[in-house]
Amino acid sequence: MRMRRLFRDRALLIGTVIISILVLVAVFAGPLATFPDHVTGFDPNHRLKAPGWQFLLGTDRMGADIYSRLLFGARLTILIAVTATGTAVIIGVPIGLIAGYFDGWASEALMRVSDIFLAVPQIVLAIAIAQTLGPNIQNVILALSVTYWPFWARLVYAETRSQRNEVYVEAAKAMGASPLRIMVMHILPNIAGSIIVRTTIGMGATILAAASLGFLGLGAPPPAPEWGRMIAESREFLPQAWWYATAPGIAILMVVMGFNLLGDGLRDVLDPRIRRGGGDGR
Amino acid sequence: MRILVLALRRIAWMPPTLLGLIAIVFTISRIIPADPARVIAGENASPAQVEALRQKFGLDLPLMQQFMRYLRDIVNGDLGISLYSQRPVVEDLLGRLAATFELAIAAMCLAIMIGVPLGVVSALHRNRWLDQVIRLATMAGLAMAAFWLAILLQLFFSMTLGVTPVQGRIDGWGPDQITGFYTIDALINGDGETFGKALRYLILPTATLAIPAAATIVRFTRAGVLNALSSNFVFYQTAMGLPRRTIIWKYILRSAFIGTLTQIGLVFGNLLAGAVVIETVFSWPGLGLFAYNSILQSDYNAIMAFTLFTGSVFIVVNLLIDIAQTLLDPRTR
Amino acid sequence: MTGKFPPLTINRRAALAGLSATGLVGMHSPAFAARQKFVTANNNPYDLLDPHQLFDIGRIAVRLNMYDALTRWVDNPPRLENWLIEKVTISPDGKVYTFVIKQNVKFHDGTVMTSADVVYSMERILALKKGAYGLFKDVIEPGTTKALDPRTVQFTLTKPFAVFMAVLSELWVVNSALVKKNEKNGDWGADWLSKSEAGSGGYALRRYDPAIGFQTARFEGHFAGWGKNPIDDAEFRGVLETATRVLGVMKGEFNTTDGYLPAEQMARMKENPNIKTWEAESIRTFYFIINHWKAPLNDVNMRKAVCYAFDYDGFNNKILSGTVVRNNGIIPNPMWGAPKDLQGYTYDLDKAKYHLSQVKNVRPLQIGAMAGYPQSEQAAQMLQAGCAKIGLEVKIVSEPYTTIAPKLNDRERAHDLIPLWRSAYFADPHNWTGFLFNSSNFDAGNASYYKNPRVDELCNKALIITDQDQRRVMYEEVSRILVEDAAGIFINNTKFHGAFTKNVKSIRFCPIGDAQDVRWIEMQG
Repeated sequence: MRMRRLFRDRALLIGTVIISILVLVAVFAGPLATFPDHVTGFDPNHRLKAPGWQFLLGTDRMGADIYSRLLFGARLTILIAVTATGTAVIIGVPIGLIAGYFDGWASEALMRVSDIFLAVPQIVLAIAIAQTLGPNIQNVILALSVTYWPFWARLVYAETRSQRNEVYVEAAKAMGASPLRIMVMHILPNIAGSIIVRTTIGMGATILAAASLGFLGLGAPPPAPEWGRMIAESREFLPQAWWYATAPGIAILMVVMGFNLLGDGLRDVLDPRIRRGGGDGR
Repeated sequence: MRILVLALRRIAWMPPTLLGLIAIVFTISRIIPADPARVIAGENASPAQVEALRQKFGLDLPLMQQFMRYLRDIVNGDLGISLYSQRPVVEDLLGRLAATFELAIAAMCLAIMIGVPLGVVSALHRNRWLDQVIRLATMAGLAMAAFWLAILLQLFFSMTLGVTPVQGRIDGWGPDQITGFYTIDALINGDGETFGKALRYLILPTATLAIPAAATIVRFTRAGVLNALSSNFVFYQTAMGLPRRTIIWKYILRSAFIGTLTQIGLVFGNLLAGAVVIETVFSWPGLGLFAYNSILQSDYNAIMAFTLFTGSVFIVVNLLIDIAQTLLDPRTR
Repeated sequence: MTGKFPPLTINRRAALAGLSATGLVGMHSPAFAARQKFVTANNNPYDLLDPHQLFDIGRIAVRLNMYDALTRWVDNPPRLENWLIEKVTISPDGKVYTFVIKQNVKFHDGTVMTSADVVYSMERILALKKGAYGLFKDVIEPGTTKALDPRTVQFTLTKPFAVFMAVLSELWVVNSALVKKNEKNGDWGADWLSKSEAGSGGYALRRYDPAIGFQTARFEGHFAGWGKNPIDDAEFRGVLETATRVLGVMKGEFNTTDGYLPAEQMARMKENPNIKTWEAESIRTFYFIINHWKAPLNDVNMRKAVCYAFDYDGFNNKILSGTVVRNNGIIPNPMWGAPKDLQGYTYDLDKAKYHLSQVKNVRPLQIGAMAGYPQSEQAAQMLQAGCAKIGLEVKIVSEPYTTIAPKLNDRERAHDLIPLWRSAYFADPHNWTGFLFNSSNFDAGNASYYKNPRVDELCNKALIITDQDQRRVMYEEVSRILVEDAAGIFINNTKFHGAFTKNVKSIRFCPIGDAQDVRWIEMQG
């Protein structure tokens, strides 16, 4: 019954399909790639070739197959999205829980700090941090985690506030459960739905931000098949090499859309309060 | 009276927010690097120069004392000297503010002009094919990498059709500076030709910047209208026999518009942030391009000043919009 | 279409006649409408105008057009002209240089240039420690340059330096009175001069916007005078996007752009009937710095392994589509001192494997590529791929040049390998040999931390002798030793591919300054 409902929702279906493809592509990049060695390798004899049977999506400035690089780029994309978003969740959720559950100046201070982070455009902060640390993947992940955690802190804070006076929490308190136990065993499961929804959509945002940093030259160094970097490389060869930027751009579009659709779909399933409300403010 | 209290409360919240922002930037620039003096002096500096800088900025002092100094400099309008150009960074930032604002405001207007009607149409056609198409387009608009869209637009409109310039803000030099907005300055000077030129250069970057913003506005407007449609008030009016057209125009749109307005601060902030990549692609001589060049030159002071400056602008703009909205919203009246 | 331009020659007599008139043309001239304008779109932003802080060839237009130096390079192969100098006296020990500067050299504000301006300019370079500082720091101490009388200036060097006259081409003379007036807290006017101009050059600054570029008007009162059909207005714009610069030249919005475009863009320009292109072999070698300081690169076998692992033909002729010329050694082919019969390395994986097998304790190497310079990144990828084939792991980091540059002078922090260009700041083999490979230049110019007593001896001797034929033999020997020692991975010499709108009649290309010296450009009337 629940499964049928799940798949009745087209957004959820399409989102699931796109993300499944992304994961499959990342896992099976090797066998799927026509030139699996073109992550670091290339063939200068076939430089800047238009798409065709040999090179499905054309070749780049070194003569590497863009299709193959795109597939391996999916791994990098997942790595960044999962670790950066994951870290942001790991930082943000406990802060939100603690600040939401307890009253007092510490809670207030934690939330004010997250407000300040939210008051500055994320990409600008990420640039400052990435620049301070130096251009590589780990630092991109770090920069994004540091700038994105307040979103989860805010969300969990609000949810926890609305839950902490619920009957089930009072009951647990009456039975002598410790605050930690109440937060983790009682409140967290009840707000997990919203967190999952926010995390799914956050993945898309993280991918976009990471691609922007890559485009600005703050991401992975060459020859990493990072999608944003591939687009940046292409600019020198416009308008002739139109295919160079096209493929990675579509890849970013599809994946981010996939996460957004999945998030919207999950919201309808997991978050009963706004189910089918049509008010999708985020 | 209540409005005044609300507005004052918002204003009162601004100084601590700004202070927090300064603290964050201070942390990034002075605490994260292993040797901040080395980083601030620039990689070209000799050990003696680094040492001199350490003295000058008091980087050997306790952190709290350093922070007070840092704060004092900022209050005095001193955001440091660009390592690269030797000019005060504030000078370059102020000089580029107008370019970014012209772009962001143009994009904002375009986004509202596209976003609000589409959002209303989408809501009125809820779950029918038109709504589905608009929602899909909205999703795509939000999922697109702005720099990629910019390149596609350049490729098609500038390089293939040749109808718009590839990049830049104007061919040659702008009109005499009055407001710093080329389009407005050209109009004030009565220079139609320059106005036309400035407008042509503005088209692509504005469009690129406006698309994700428009997508956001569509979503909020749609949600706002749907909420209004399902409200008891409209239900009552319909029952009273008021024609549907009147209800839409008079009641639903008004409430939807106010709903949208609440989000404009958020959208405007995204526009400023988006400007970094968009200005890079279009070589638009604003704050974003300045940041990008500073990244390329590892001009550390400039990047930190940019962060601080953009952050503050963002906070102030949001405050102004919040206040405006408080004044406009009938619920607080 | 490709055409060769005859060099533009200046009629000296006409030039002298022009001396009587001073002030900017056009300001009062009724013939304003007929002014000839030349617009350059450069790939670098002109975000700085200070001639003592800039040193790159990419933005040399600022210095060449608005300032004058004691000497100046012209033509290809480059020839050194006495520019501001009327008379030179060099002491027998080669340490004291006395110059008499030309009479009636005027700055743009009408002030007459004196030896005090030259002294101030020298001191300013030594104090700011930027730009051309590296050329002078070893031979000139602050405070030792003297103004003997209003037109005579004396430099006392700490040691003989055969190329002193050559490096004086980077001593741009500023109007000391004007700069001093704008000094703030002892900053040598750095803030002010970063956005203004205090020169005597052929073109005077009219308008500047760091975000756009700068506009100049011809300085009628220039001491060297003018030919019969000079450009009146010269405008320089920083246009980052390659495609825009190319499109702009095609449409005639720009008269020229930088001469080092990717091959694909160059091909587009050559096909266009509105564009004239001009090729010349420059003197700018592209190579990998090898950091000899850290094992295992202190082992010649390890260095030979990487030299044999680079696909020279693939890089020069395929990736760069033959827009460059293979250069077997460090000295550019057209420069004297480059041996004509020098044998370089080839892409030979068997030999690379053999040499690698001779190395104990191999570790993964790190290449520091220059972010924003695609060729540098591409060369790094080329070497990485070659090394992968011989089982040598190589990691690439991409950093802005401003981050890489200081590490060049820090043996512990330097990357193992750095692909970059060595441009000509002065046309003398010393620019590529003694400066880069003499062990006395550790932590200064010798970023390889390469040390070979014979190379040191030859380089030192060649700086004391002034006879070119004797020096040539020495530099040729140095070139051979550097290849034998695999001191660096020497890859190519750059070619200049200038693209100009068709109405440009003649230019005068010089590798030092490319063709950015507007004085030598002539357009159809």
